[in-house]
Amino acid sequence: MSDLAWGLQMTVLGMGLVFALLTLLWGLLTLMQRLDRQPAAAALPDEAQAAAALAATPLSAASTATPTVQGLDAGLMAAILVATLAHRAARRREAAPAMRRSAPGSQLHTSRWVGAGRVRQNHSWQRRGR
Amino acid sequence: MASRTDDHLQTLREMRSRAVLGGGTKRIEQQHARGKFTARERLSLLLDEGSFQEFGALATHQVNAFGLDKQRFPGDGIVTGFGKVSGRRVAVFAQDFTVLGGSFSEVQAQKISRIQDLALESGIPIIGLNDSGGARIQEGVRSLAAYGEVFVRNVMASGVIPQISVILGPCAGGAVYSPALTDFVIMAADSTMFLTGPDVIKAVTGEEVTAQSLGGADVHTSRSGVAHLSADTEVAGLSLAKLLLSYLPQNNNEDAPQLTPDDPPSRMDESLNTLIPNDENQPYDIRDAITAIFDVDSFLEIQPRFAANAVVGFARLEGHSVGIVANQPACMAGALDIDASDKIARFIRICDAFNIPLVTFVDCPGFLPGTEQEYGGVIRHGAKIIYAYCEATVPKISIVTRKAMGGAYVAMGSRQMRIDLAFAWPTAQIAVMGAEPAVRVLYRAEVKNAADPAARQAELVAAYREEFFNPYRAADLGQIDEVIEPRETRPRLARALEILRTKVQQNPPKKHGLSPT
Repeated sequence: MSDLAWGLQMTVLGMGLVFALLTLLWGLLTLMQRLDRQPAAAALPDEAQAAAALAATPLSAASTATPTVQGLDAGLMAAILVATLAHRAARRREAAPAMRRSAPGSQLHTSRWVGAGRVRQNHSWQRRGR
Repeated sequence: MASRTDDHLQTLREMRSRAVLGGGTKRIEQQHARGKFTARERLSLLLDEGSFQEFGALATHQVNAFGLDKQRFPGDGIVTGFGKVSGRRVAVFAQDFTVLGGSFSEVQAQKISRIQDLALESGIPIIGLNDSGGARIQEGVRSLAAYGEVFVRNVMASGVIPQISVILGPCAGGAVYSPALTDFVIMAADSTMFLTGPDVIKAVTGEEVTAQSLGGADVHTSRSGVAHLSADTEVAGLSLAKLLLSYLPQNNNEDAPQLTPDDPPSRMDESLNTLIPNDENQPYDIRDAITAIFDVDSFLEIQPRFAANAVVGFARLEGHSVGIVANQPACMAGALDIDASDKIARFIRICDAFNIPLVTFVDCPGFLPGTEQEYGGVIRHGAKIIYAYCEATVPKISIVTRKAMGGAYVAMGSRQMRIDLAFAWPTAQIAVMGAEPAVRVLYRAEVKNAADPAARQAELVAAYREEFFNPYRAADLGQIDEVIEPRETRPRLARALEILRTKVQQNPPKKHGLSPT
């Protein structure tokens, strides 16, 4: 009977400890999340609010304000987009692996007809009598 | 206490470090001061990061004459090996100007020959970066024989694997023949190519000329046609080599890389329907048609400044490499001359060797008349085009956009030149000669004896134009397969090339043909 009581005691103590630690961890995470969010929230206004504010601003004032997308300067975003597209176009011109339909040097994409035909084309001269 | 193995490793590392330094830190600084990269820097710009595997880094010459025993550098002025360009295996060599001015030696030849042999056996392209003052004089006949070793391998590899030369410095004397034997020559920055330098020319003929005006990129891309492309900087030159390679296969048994299509084959460009001016003597730029028809941003013109009356180059259709040959009505009305014939014939043979289909745009009033052309042998040069078209076994499609007159019509991809499909735009004029000269020949007496010769001549010219200045008579006779709207050209070509992709044609057995020279 005393063993059962001791066992129950241990179970309660163990589970209690685990839950206590989990609660502490949850509290810590919540705190860290809040600490992390506060400065960001100050720097990054809500997109909808920003858009509404931009729309409400008179045109002359809007031209001086820098619009943002996801917290990044819109001009910077446009530059990144242009650079990405230019890089993609350059990679395409150079037939980069990601742009290719088949692996270099493989003849998997061609037919046996073509393969056999090219062998004949390249070995058209054969010694007579063979 | 260091073990014996550690000593060996230390020795190897020291030797490798010396090899990496080429001619030494001072020479590298001098090279940089001239605004030029070293051989290894160039290779790192050309090849995919971390893909280069060097061979022969520790090879040195064994010549003691003229103080050469004191000038031994690991690698002997050349870096050779294998690497990858856009994921494709290539063999490369780069002459190192920091070592004895990159002078061509016996060891250099051995290293290049080794790479050439391996490239040929492996069926992979070879790219050479040339920057050398010429043969190593101290080695005497050894260096001359060395040239021969490279030349014979250039010839053996010709038409089997793509060979590209990028000239990044001087290339003089016998050294020029190796690039000239390769498929493409790209000249970058202040590079020069000549057989005999300005000093020799002055001594022999008294003519004063600078190295640039004798053999600079300007001269060879616009006048001599020795170089196919040029670039202002070394980086741009190396990028051009990569770009060029993207249109070529690994070897003559394979196809060029096919890209995932990003431009629908059914796209029709309405501007093509208004490209040909109403006045038949007005010029237009055939490159406008090419860029509108083929995949967006895919056209790479070869020899753009040499023989501008003809346009040749690579483009893509549905992601497949295509070779383009065209007359350029915006220059000399698109008439063929000696240089244009050479340019076209050479390009056709390159495409045929590397399984790249050919599309020809014809707008040619004929061969350029005149004594200069006849004395220069325009007959044998023009014959090169005919020879090249007839010999080529790749898919060939021609499109007559406007004028296709006389011998030029036959030469520029008529059905008899083993063209697979011949299209024509409704603006096509297919005739033996122009209306006025034809009337002069045919109706000389009738016009002369008419009451009003001018009116009679105009009447006859109009009748001739009505009869021949359209594509329908040629279509009646089966010389044109289909008359198409200009805007339909892209989808028509895409469908035709899709069918012809498995075309196989074999020429009669022979050792080799005797192409006109």
